[in-house]
Amino acid sequence: MQAFLAILRYDLSQLTQSWVSRIWVPLLIAPAFFLLIVAGTEDELASETLAAYLVAVLMPLSALAVAVLTAGAIAGEAQIIADGILSRSVTRAEFVSAKVVSRLGFTLSVFLVVMIPFSYLIIRYAEADVSYTGLLVGLFTAALLLTFLGALGLTLSTVMTNVMVSVMSLLIVVLASGLLLQFLGLSWMSVTAVLAHLAPTIRGETPAWDTFRVVFVFSGLTAASILTTYSVFRQRDL
Amino acid sequence: MHVVNTTDLTKIYDNRYIALNALNLRVEKGQVFGLVGPNGAGKSTTFRLLLGLQKPTAGQLQVFGEQMGAERADLRRRIGYLPTNPTFPKHMTPIAFLQFVGSVLGMPKDRAKIQLTRLLQAVDLANAASQPIKGFSTGMLTRLGIAAALMNDPELLILDEPTSGLDPAGRKQTIELIRELSGRDRTIIIATHILTDVERVCTDVGIISAGRLIYSGPMADMRRLARQGTIAVEIEGNTSSFEQELHTLDEFGSVRYERIGAEFRITFLGTQPLNEYLNRVLALIDRTGVELLHVDTGSDEIEEAFLRRLEDDRTRGFLRAAAWAAALDGDSSDRKEEADAGIPGHPSV
Repeated sequence: MQAFLAILRYDLSQLTQSWVSRIWVPLLIAPAFFLLIVAGTEDELASETLAAYLVAVLMPLSALAVAVLTAGAIAGEAQIIADGILSRSVTRAEFVSAKVVSRLGFTLSVFLVVMIPFSYLIIRYAEADVSYTGLLVGLFTAALLLTFLGALGLTLSTVMTNVMVSVMSLLIVVLASGLLLQFLGLSWMSVTAVLAHLAPTIRGETPAWDTFRVVFVFSGLTAASILTTYSVFRQRDL
Repeated sequence: MHVVNTTDLTKIYDNRYIALNALNLRVEKGQVFGLVGPNGAGKSTTFRLLLGLQKPTAGQLQVFGEQMGAERADLRRRIGYLPTNPTFPKHMTPIAFLQFVGSVLGMPKDRAKIQLTRLLQAVDLANAASQPIKGFSTGMLTRLGIAAALMNDPELLILDEPTSGLDPAGRKQTIELIRELSGRDRTIIIATHILTDVERVCTDVGIISAGRLIYSGPMADMRRLARQGTIAVEIEGNTSSFEQELHTLDEFGSVRYERIGAEFRITFLGTQPLNEYLNRVLALIDRTGVELLHVDTGSDEIEEAFLRRLEDDRTRGFLRAAAWAAALDGDSSDRKEEADAGIPGHPSV
């Protein structure tokens, strides 16, 4: 447990000091202010503004940031991990757990830090057409998609040794699978299709079964990715 | 008790490269064991297996009498490790890094602070303690690696090239540190190319070549082996007469010599004690009337012995393979054992 906490603290300090975090957060906040002013002055619908922000700004930028932060989590630090951390009294499970908690926790923290005040202000100043349950479901769905992306990035990071290759692979896999699943009529399994459907979800117009199906699929995929990360990393030679 | 005990430890990477080939390594408590061998011999792979960072392809591996593996954090807690060319988080300072190591090891903060202060002084990094690691020289990184390896006051210390990149003062300091640790009943395994370092600090030595341990024994035996057979004499006067008469020494077995100016390096391949050979050479000097300027039975001795062992092993490789093939044909277990031991009819090193 001590090793887990030490690695968690170390990794979080690495994340807060990384150039990705320093760019990511300001890039999310600036357009949020712009949309807030536009929505307030033009009486835009809150659900449409929130969905537009999530689909056009937060998710693409965050996907890129999460890809870099998670796909480089293990591959990018392989030497330091082996020599400096895992050669000491740390188990592979403790190490992966700390990485999963810090990288996914950091991603979700950034998401919440941006989305909670933004949602509050949009509901207050724009045309309030959201249902609170729908808003919670919409934000939860977006957060789940980011978590899934992060979990997949961590898995690729344990499988691949080159950070750039794992980042590119992650983005290509998510986009290509989204398009393919939509083509196959399985849009509820596609990240891009789920994002495109966020505005009605925030208004509370999405049937409960559809929401459950999306949550079930992406929770399952996230869990499977994390378990794969554990399994692969336990077997891996360092 | 064996602190390290490997039986037929084998590591093959990607079914393509044999890094370790049935390595049988035993290190006793309190030994300072020098693992020497050329680049790619398998030293670092051995260490990574000992730490559970890699999985053996075959064979057994025990540390402190227990099976080592990736999840054996309890065993690694008792080990300190310095890798070759250690890498650290570049933005950290030595203090922050050693504090991190202390917290990973579960040390109380106060104890970690006392320990890291003591260690930073011991490795002469106290003045650079608050500077970011990214500006450090290779020597400073190695010294920080040594400090990190000693944070938990380990029972077993594994040092991979501990003096590489160090200036003479740093090297001397590191050797002194290892000596001091060995005096405190620690078990230390050192991999190095610098054989004089091995000679200065090690109680035991193992030579590894192509993933096999081709020699393992006390340092004193290695020294004896080194001195056995080679005498260098520098003479003046009728050196050609001396050279012509050298064949008379052949009664003790085969004699080889190499002449470099006035120096003759005479190697006896027989089994007589070195004193006997030396007396004969001195008698020959006397007989031929040359003047003896210098005699040496030990210059570059460890290097010579080390190279001789490697050369022997390469020669034996062919014979071993032939013996194995014969053993497999005839299914003779005796011949198989001979093959494992070296050339048929010769004792294993």
